[in-house]
Amino acid sequence: MTRFTVNNQPVAYDMDPETPLLWALRDASNLTGTKYGCGTGECGACTVDIDGKAVRSCQVTIGAIEGTFVTTIEGLSRDRSHPVQQALIASNVSQCGYCIPGIVMAASALLREKHDPGETEIAEAISNLCRCGIYPRLTDAIRRAARIARGDERVEPPPRPGTDESGAARSVPAMRAGQREDVDKAD
Amino acid sequence: MADGEKRQGGIDRRTLLIGGGAGIGLVVAYAVWPRQYSSNLTAAKGETVFGAWIKIADNGEVTIAVPQAELGQGVYTALPQIAADEMGADWRTVAVQPAPLNALYANAMAAGILFRDALGDLPQGLQQSHAERTALMLTAGSTSVRAFEGELRRAGAGVRALLCKAAARRWGVDWRSCGTADGFVVHGEDRLRFAELAEAAANEDLPSDVALRQAGSERLSGTSVPRLDTPAKVDGSANFAGDIRLPGMMFAAIRQGPVGDTRLIAANREAADAIAGVRHVVTNPRWVAAVANNWWAANRALDAIAPRFETRGAIVDSDSIDAALGTALDGEGQRIAKAGDLAQIFSGADIVAAQYEVGLALHAAIEPMTATAHLEGGRLSLWLPTQAPGLARAAAAEVAGLAEDSVTVHTMLAGGSFGAKLETLAAQQAALLAKEVGKPIQLTWSRSEDCLHDRYRPAARARLSARLAKNGEIAGWLTKIAAPSVGHELTRRLLGGDPAASLSLSLPGKGVGDPQAVQGAQPIYAIPNYAVDHHPAEIGVPVGEWRSGAHSYSCFFTESFIDELAHVAGIEAHSFRISMLGGQPRLARCLSTVASLGGWQGGVPGSGQGIACHAFRDSYIAVLAEAGLSAGKVKVARLVAAVDCGRQINPDLVRQQVEGGLVFGMAAAIGCSTGFTENLADARGFRDLDLPRLADMPEITIELIASDADPGGVGEIAVPPVAPAIANALQAATGVRYRRLPLLSRMQDSE
Repeated sequence: MTRFTVNNQPVAYDMDPETPLLWALRDASNLTGTKYGCGTGECGACTVDIDGKAVRSCQVTIGAIEGTFVTTIEGLSRDRSHPVQQALIASNVSQCGYCIPGIVMAASALLREKHDPGETEIAEAISNLCRCGIYPRLTDAIRRAARIARGDERVEPPPRPGTDESGAARSVPAMRAGQREDVDKAD
Repeated sequence: MADGEKRQGGIDRRTLLIGGGAGIGLVVAYAVWPRQYSSNLTAAKGETVFGAWIKIADNGEVTIAVPQAELGQGVYTALPQIAADEMGADWRTVAVQPAPLNALYANAMAAGILFRDALGDLPQGLQQSHAERTALMLTAGSTSVRAFEGELRRAGAGVRALLCKAAARRWGVDWRSCGTADGFVVHGEDRLRFAELAEAAANEDLPSDVALRQAGSERLSGTSVPRLDTPAKVDGSANFAGDIRLPGMMFAAIRQGPVGDTRLIAANREAADAIAGVRHVVTNPRWVAAVANNWWAANRALDAIAPRFETRGAIVDSDSIDAALGTALDGEGQRIAKAGDLAQIFSGADIVAAQYEVGLALHAAIEPMTATAHLEGGRLSLWLPTQAPGLARAAAAEVAGLAEDSVTVHTMLAGGSFGAKLETLAAQQAALLAKEVGKPIQLTWSRSEDCLHDRYRPAARARLSARLAKNGEIAGWLTKIAAPSVGHELTRRLLGGDPAASLSLSLPGKGVGDPQAVQGAQPIYAIPNYAVDHHPAEIGVPVGEWRSGAHSYSCFFTESFIDELAHVAGIEAHSFRISMLGGQPRLARCLSTVASLGGWQGGVPGSGQGIACHAFRDSYIAVLAEAGLSAGKVKVARLVAAVDCGRQINPDLVRQQVEGGLVFGMAAAIGCSTGFTENLADARGFRDLDLPRLADMPEITIELIASDADPGGVGEIAVPPVAPAIANALQAATGVRYRRLPLLSRMQDSE
């Protein structure tokens, strides 16, 4: 059987039960935030959260996770407000961005277990590969995420997805509200 | 490198191109080619287009078209920042879109670096018009800011003037008395949004003498504004080429034959039928692809199909590569650069010599090669991570039997590249598959295909020799490098049918060597007599561009040998370098800075400290490494870098590139390489590459030296000096000189 929950939605995949979760997510559910990098569990680009643990989704089959709760990067937060996302933005961590969803998922699982992880704990938990070389600022960013999660630090909130014109105009004087709606009506 | 070299045969290639003979047709063709190209940047509803670079929407959004691919280097931020700065826009209103293919976005500077022997020596005007005529858009050679800063500033300043004119007309004042700030035109107490002026501004005439902004406060340029691509990258919404989903799209996996003259001889197509979800099997003389409703099924089908290939010709393996480099080094070379009279200096003197080697290096971007293709109604659409969209379009059009203008390339974010995504093979394969199957196809190479069919950074071997004068100065220096002619190979593979490139490569007086294969080998130190020779080697493995190219090995050779000479001369390695850098104050300053910042102890035995420096792409860097051996592995404890890259558009982007470059250089010093066995790379996955992870990170300190010089390249600058700094540190730690990259590979050869 291949029934479980993905981002709070019950799903049943009509696929070979041997299919790795990664490909069910990407190719059947179109949840493409979870990336393919190696298929052998080494790079961590496909990391998702299964029942609270960070798991390489290329290494578990959909047949083996019956009844579990899977959270992907798309389901982590609605508005990039997860402390790890806030911290990665504030510390300007991402470069090409391909490894980032996996790192965010691994770090979010870590922070659920450790409220104040040390350098070694972070290095052990984040075994993901990155070729751009974001590592030099990653440890500090995850510690910052832990501080944000604990309420010890606040950072400028990240831009929210789907901000509409009037919302943008309220915070940015150079923006002008009402243009798009007017244009649409004129059609 | 020395112009004189090109004149050896009595024929100057430059004269030939301009003056007559084979070149005359070419010159005429260029002369009649239109020099004015019109923009094909399209407007969405409510947007006003200003030339090729800028759009302003009636809601205030400012969109900058960026011709360069975003590979992680931050170009989707730095280039918009330059234009927005000149406009006086509010950064929060700035958006970016990939520029369409157009001659206006050609990058002649990158073409001159990448196809150096074919195009790099053309007179600059011809280089520019050649790049434009072929719409040669390229992201390579750390050129993005260097090539486009001027144009983006002029475009931004022009739009600022137009907005000011529109506002001035409304207010009845002189437009020269108006200014811009935060997305408004300002005159005294009066303020008008760009949004309200854009349409009117487009009807104003562009003044002939638009002044660029002068240094001052309120500038976006020079500040670390946030990256525009970051928010979408932390929530998984940033789309890469493999994230494209089209109605009816199928997923394809591929298995290609070994390197060399290879063809498919057997494939069990029926076996694929047993795999659920598989719909098609497509065979080609060089590969087999399976197409399924999910990629995993397609890749599994390939296992079942078990394709067999036959390879003719000599077997390529690690020994044959070694032998090819050895034969080349002992054979004929071509002098690429020289100064003084080396023969006389070396004659009868005591010569210090050493031999170094580097293995093949993989790109190993986490995103493997991928392409999505959709052929409908005779039009092909491609979604690609590509550093060369025009070349990809031409290559795909050719195999699909289409005219180039029937092919549209959508340049996607690349999940790392490092040179790999200059290549056009995946785009061709996806185009063929879409044609064959009749459905949209997303092709993704497996990790092992990505390792097996990389266009590797060449393997190389070098013999360096020098004569020390009595005072310890270097009187003569000779670098002989055996390496594949990577520039010629890139030119043939990527520019194939380009008449200017093939003509240029076939001109008389053209030597066997390739300046690109020895880039960076010309010593920057004040050495009165030196020479650099290239010995072309046929190693039988395809090679290509790789972050910093030949600099990655030439710097290892030079900076390791400098260290060895300092030991022979009995002079501390830092002072030894500084004493020969009187003519290179910027590099000398990097060295001094890194020594004081890093607590340089003189490289004494047991210190485990090593230094190295390098200059290229108009930037300068010195690196201090602390390293040792631990449980048979190289352990890097610390890296300190001092960089002078001129004016910084966005200092934190520069810092990211330097951090990333150091990590990339460290990866290549320690691993990221492969041997070959029977025409197949030994490396099949990340497990074979020993790439650094977070736990392997040294303490990293970076000093960006303030400078008013024009911006230098930053994407590659930090890569080359890392390996020699670590090798020099290992020497200080262990007393053993490691002369091969990756370090510790084939230890028996090291001393």
